[in-house]
Amino acid sequence: MSTARSAKPWMGRILAALAAALVFAAPAVAGEDLEDRMREVASGLRCPVCQNLSVADSSSEMAREMRALIVDQLRAGKRPEEIRDYFVSKYGQWILLSPTPRGVGLVVWIVPTLGAVAGLGGAAWVLRRWSRRGTAPPPPVDAAALTRIREAVQAGDSSAALTPEEARQVEALRELQFDYRAGKLSAADYEELRALYESRAAAALAGARRPPRKAAAEVSMTAHAVPASVGSAPRVWRWVTAALFLVGFGAALGYFLPQSVRARGDGSPTGDFLTGTREEAARAEAPALPVLLQRGRQAMDAAEWDRAIGFFRRALEVDPDEPTAHASLGLILHRAGHPDRALKSFERALARDPTSPPALWGKGLVLYESLGKTAEAVRTWEALLAQEISKEDRDHVLSILAEARQRLATPQGPATRSPR
Amino acid sequence: MAWKRLAFIFAVGVPLLAVLAYGFTRDPREIPSPLIGRPAPAFSVRLTDGREVGLADLRGKVVFLNFWASWCPPCRAEARALEASWQRHRDGDVAFLGINMQDREEAAREFLREFGVTYANGIDGGNRIAIDYGVWGIPETFFLDRNGRITYKHIGALGAETIHAKLEEARQGVQSRREGKGEYRSIR
Repeated sequence: MSTARSAKPWMGRILAALAAALVFAAPAVAGEDLEDRMREVASGLRCPVCQNLSVADSSSEMAREMRALIVDQLRAGKRPEEIRDYFVSKYGQWILLSPTPRGVGLVVWIVPTLGAVAGLGGAAWVLRRWSRRGTAPPPPVDAAALTRIREAVQAGDSSAALTPEEARQVEALRELQFDYRAGKLSAADYEELRALYESRAAAALAGARRPPRKAAAEVSMTAHAVPASVGSAPRVWRWVTAALFLVGFGAALGYFLPQSVRARGDGSPTGDFLTGTREEAARAEAPALPVLLQRGRQAMDAAEWDRAIGFFRRALEVDPDEPTAHASLGLILHRAGHPDRALKSFERALARDPTSPPALWGKGLVLYESLGKTAEAVRTWEALLAQEISKEDRDHVLSILAEARQRLATPQGPATRSPR
Repeated sequence: MAWKRLAFIFAVGVPLLAVLAYGFTRDPREIPSPLIGRPAPAFSVRLTDGREVGLADLRGKVVFLNFWASWCPPCRAEARALEASWQRHRDGDVAFLGINMQDREEAAREFLREFGVTYANGIDGGNRIAIDYGVWGIPETFFLDRNGRITYKHIGALGAETIHAKLEEARQGVQSRREGKGEYRSIR
């Protein structure tokens, strides 16, 4: 919503040059005035190309032409509001950096104001609470309880009927006294800490004499211990809420995460969900399967492996078991030196179509060249020769088959690149 | 106390998450057009063969108006479908008009040659026509009925079926409620 003027000096220069070129016939003073008025209009318009810059600040071609258009219209005697209305009539309210406070646009004006009021109010409330807590007088302490605590400390025995909390405070007081006598504490610190511990112990003692429920509230105000017997009902609810929240969170995560990371055709890792590209639209415009396969082939012929992989992957999105796509991916994987993955691709292709020529050819190649399983390769290629393939391909297969058979006849030869 | 805090976090967090979830599912580049159902802005453009054609000259015909540039891949993707549709509908009362924008003239001519485009194409020098139509991504296509009213707008590459269906709707003066969207490139 900011209509901040650009501070970039080069932008100013470009604009000045532009304005000068456009109004060179007019006197210099009029030109400067025109540029100012143009900037006033342009700084309120959102650049349709760059989203977050105003037309005045953007260096895109579109923004440049919009600025030229504004200058033309100003020179034709149009008022700034008229020019703004013209852009709104073409691009809608979207084009305004500050939307008009009407309808949905009103929300944009109200919410930040409400937020600021709520934030300031909240801050004031919190600050007041803090300052109160700082200066608040210590809670009134039952004099009788205090006396009893002091007696217990002086008596030095733990046999008195003290609750564990009281015993802890009494023990702390004794240690404090010991430290003070040993000279480890200053008199002021000792007084302060002693008052604190005594009041806590007295409160615990006084609380224990009262009915349990009220005591719990009192004690939780002064000491941090809450007896386990109270507050079980809210605790159940807390557990239920936490469980519901966890289940809901898990379900939401399970639903949205796979959506957001589903890879698109062009390999975007964020997928459709985050970028908002509708899946139906993408699918409707997706080329048909034969076109994808053909383009993939062309890319392979041109040695553009990445593009070829892209096309075949998209083909597999249309038909996850397309044999030609699997076989072609296998050939690329084989070339890239991944014989195991290549073999898997060929197997998938052959699972769908046991007579697929490219898959048979590729499988033989992997077995022969990379895995050193010459006999299996020979069998695969023989199966390939039983299929209908072009004469050139047949000759090629026959020649490599002859080579493989010869290698099979001389077992210890340096047959493979990476023998197993 | 913790109970209240939890309720507060829910009251603030859930609407916030909902707003974010809604925002992230939208295309931030998308600019909904206010032009659908309105009369198409008039213009006059110089064609690649040197003639000058105005929208007024096409009154009485269903008009297929396509903004494109040679550097935009989706424009290339739809080029053959557009030419095929033109061949299919050219004998009817339909006019196809391409508007080349943000391009070099030689590149545009090369594009037309490459795809064997035979319908009329004009060159929008200062992008004034594009701004007049609120163009923000290309290819962008407008379908106009016989009275020159915009019945449908599609951003992104078009297929032959969509073109056929939307021409038929324009012929009957049926206005689409929603814009169409496919793969597009933001203009420069």
